[in-house]
Amino acid sequence: MTAAVDTKKRPARIALLGNPNTGKSTIFNRLTGLRQHIANYPGITVEMKTGAMLVGDQQVEVLDLPGAYSLAAASPDERVVMDALDGRMGKRPPDLIVCVLDATNLKRNLLLVSQAAELEIPMLVVLNQWDAVKRNGLRIDADLLADRLGVPVVTTVAKRGGGLEELKKAISHSLDEPRRIPRILWPEFIDEARDIVRNGLEETGNDVTGPEALRMIFDTDSAFADKIGHREKLKPLLKSARDRIRSHGMNPASAEPVLHYRHIEAVLDGVIEGDGMVARTRDSVDALLLNRFWGSLIFFAVMYVVFQSLYAWAGPVMDLIEAGTGWVQDLVSPLLEGTPVLQSLVSDGIIAGVGGVIVFLPQILLLFFFIAILEDTGYLARAAFLMDKLFGWCGLNGKSFVPLLSGYACAIPGVMAARTLEDPKARLTTILMTPFMSCSARLPIYVLLIGAFVEPVYGPLVAGWTLFLMHFVGAVVAMPMAWFMNRCILKIKAQPFILEMPDYRVPTLRNVTIRMWERGRAFLIQAGTVILSISIIVWALLYFPRPDEVAAKTREAFIAEKSSAMPADALAAELANPESDLSHKLDHRIGGAYIEQSYLGQFGKAVQPVFDPAGFDWKITVGVLSSFPAREVIIATMGIIYNLGADVDEGSDDLRSIIAQEKWHEGPRKGQPVYTLPVVIGLMVFFALCMQCGATVAVIAKELSWKWAVASFATMTVIAWVAAVLIYQIGSRL
Amino acid sequence: MEVNAAPLKTLGKIAHGQSVEIMEISSDCGRAGRLAALGFLPGRRVRISRIAPLGDPISIEMDGQEISLRRSEADLIGVKEIA
Repeated sequence: MTAAVDTKKRPARIALLGNPNTGKSTIFNRLTGLRQHIANYPGITVEMKTGAMLVGDQQVEVLDLPGAYSLAAASPDERVVMDALDGRMGKRPPDLIVCVLDATNLKRNLLLVSQAAELEIPMLVVLNQWDAVKRNGLRIDADLLADRLGVPVVTTVAKRGGGLEELKKAISHSLDEPRRIPRILWPEFIDEARDIVRNGLEETGNDVTGPEALRMIFDTDSAFADKIGHREKLKPLLKSARDRIRSHGMNPASAEPVLHYRHIEAVLDGVIEGDGMVARTRDSVDALLLNRFWGSLIFFAVMYVVFQSLYAWAGPVMDLIEAGTGWVQDLVSPLLEGTPVLQSLVSDGIIAGVGGVIVFLPQILLLFFFIAILEDTGYLARAAFLMDKLFGWCGLNGKSFVPLLSGYACAIPGVMAARTLEDPKARLTTILMTPFMSCSARLPIYVLLIGAFVEPVYGPLVAGWTLFLMHFVGAVVAMPMAWFMNRCILKIKAQPFILEMPDYRVPTLRNVTIRMWERGRAFLIQAGTVILSISIIVWALLYFPRPDEVAAKTREAFIAEKSSAMPADALAAELANPESDLSHKLDHRIGGAYIEQSYLGQFGKAVQPVFDPAGFDWKITVGVLSSFPAREVIIATMGIIYNLGADVDEGSDDLRSIIAQEKWHEGPRKGQPVYTLPVVIGLMVFFALCMQCGATVAVIAKELSWKWAVASFATMTVIAWVAAVLIYQIGSRL
Repeated sequence: MEVNAAPLKTLGKIAHGQSVEIMEISSDCGRAGRLAALGFLPGRRVRISRIAPLGDPISIEMDGQEISLRRSEADLIGVKEIA
């Protein structure tokens, strides 16, 4: 049955090509099931899914190309499409292109098909959303279209699996008997323009195909031309080729679509019947959802639900995961009692690290549940339409709203949600802005410091306002930075913000669960391993070198200190009981001593001079440094440093009163309190602006690249430091 | 030239609900090619179907489809108002 494939002794490859919003990915999921994997296209953040399907008993590789409106490689998405079809991606061109078209919008969808036909690869055309054709008052003669195009045409309703069996048969048939769509007949002057470039380049020994030459002529910002090189040679060639087109009265930038559309209109003549009226339901729903008042109200209500789910509803599940982590620690710990190093590594390093990865899953799954629904229903495009003006000025766009809002709960799902942005520049900017949003892990340090220093002096009202305003520090700093970055640093070309308003559709459970599964899995595998490694490294830095005499010396000093207040035998009896108050105090003191002499503690003392201009003593410095992997550990670290044990929380009165009384023990400020108001505000702003989150760094590295992850980490650290120093220096002079 | 020919406006400056005929895509930059690929071509008739609450972007109805553009991009398209 698949003899043509057999003889080649390699699996056949088919590529799915189509506009965005055609249901291409749904067809891909239907064809491959879960036998798929996602790969980032090297160098840019375009992801490409490949999967496998069975045709007869043959395994066929299926490539899901990014959605594109045109082969003009204006965006990275489209560049990937062109590269994949062209076979210039290190792989051979596909054996068959399956063109997925939105049946209700044939004219525009056929442009891409007509362009791809130039490559002379066998094709198969799928008219998806076939059920909507009738609903929209259209009649389409699929057989006539197949006749005109010269390739098989299959109709599907992919969402419900309709027509999928026929599609599989057609794929199998097309692999056996490949059919091509005839190339469009270009007017003579286009052929001439093409030959100018091809012949001109021949001298350089650089062999470009006819279709490639045409792409360079038609695409003013051709990424393809960049790849060919020979800029100085190419430039005049392209200019004279474009002049040839201009001399025939056509704008070279739009000549290609104009000619293709002329051809397409001829192809479609008599194929479509009906007036192509606007779907009435869409119109009336839009009238409500895009209404100035009601639309905005509904938008905020929807976003409130999304945010609330991340901020509040995910909480119990996350608590459960944390409790589970503790339970496993308690279970495993005793087994390793004999070897304290291993015990601590397994319990505090590995188990805590794995728990620290899994704990992000509820928020990620919830957010992608909502994103899948918002995208599939068509509401996300409307939300972007409503919000675009707010974000456009600084290089973001309307679709940045959901990632940034999610960032207020947690930057991890927020950064991942930036995948919904097609424009690479806006996607990059959105990802870099998201960690500035005040995530829920920043809340404990705000609550602790405001509770200890602002509320007692200025009262609850000022305290409340301080907490509220702290949530905007990041955004206020980030937005102008985004503007500056877009203006001055980023060299990527801005894309026009084109938003298609799709018809409203009912999302399917199948699609939603696949989306959640995809993202959850990608996070666990890609980011999870990095987060776990970071967690183990930090554990080691806090644990070693751990000389034995630290415990003994601390114990001696503790006994000497207490023996003045109570008789020696009573003290000994108290300390002999591990559950006594004094025993706990001693344990906490030993814990504090260990952290002080750990590598991280030593490092904290060594770099304290760096933080001195911000008024941080070595204890704050160690706290800040140990919070770089995960900012929320600041409270536990402070508990250890101030000898209260790691179990304190931000509401702890002990911790509040102890830091309120903390004084400088040495140096020029000896005897003065450490936590003055400028230090407290500076410290909070430092936490607001600093990317103290290893998981975020890991996720940015996976979504963009390590280069961007390191750059944004370094930038945020410097900004946070500068802000804390400025606040302290100015604040203490007032 | 006819004396009463309406002067060319750009699509970004057209009022809500107004139908227009596209006359030209004025620039030859890459963005213009992109708009052409979406079907913004001379001779096509489109209508401003909606304007975002904040005044930008605008939504344009063409062939029963709706596409939203920022005004700055819509201004690359020269149009003539039709009744």
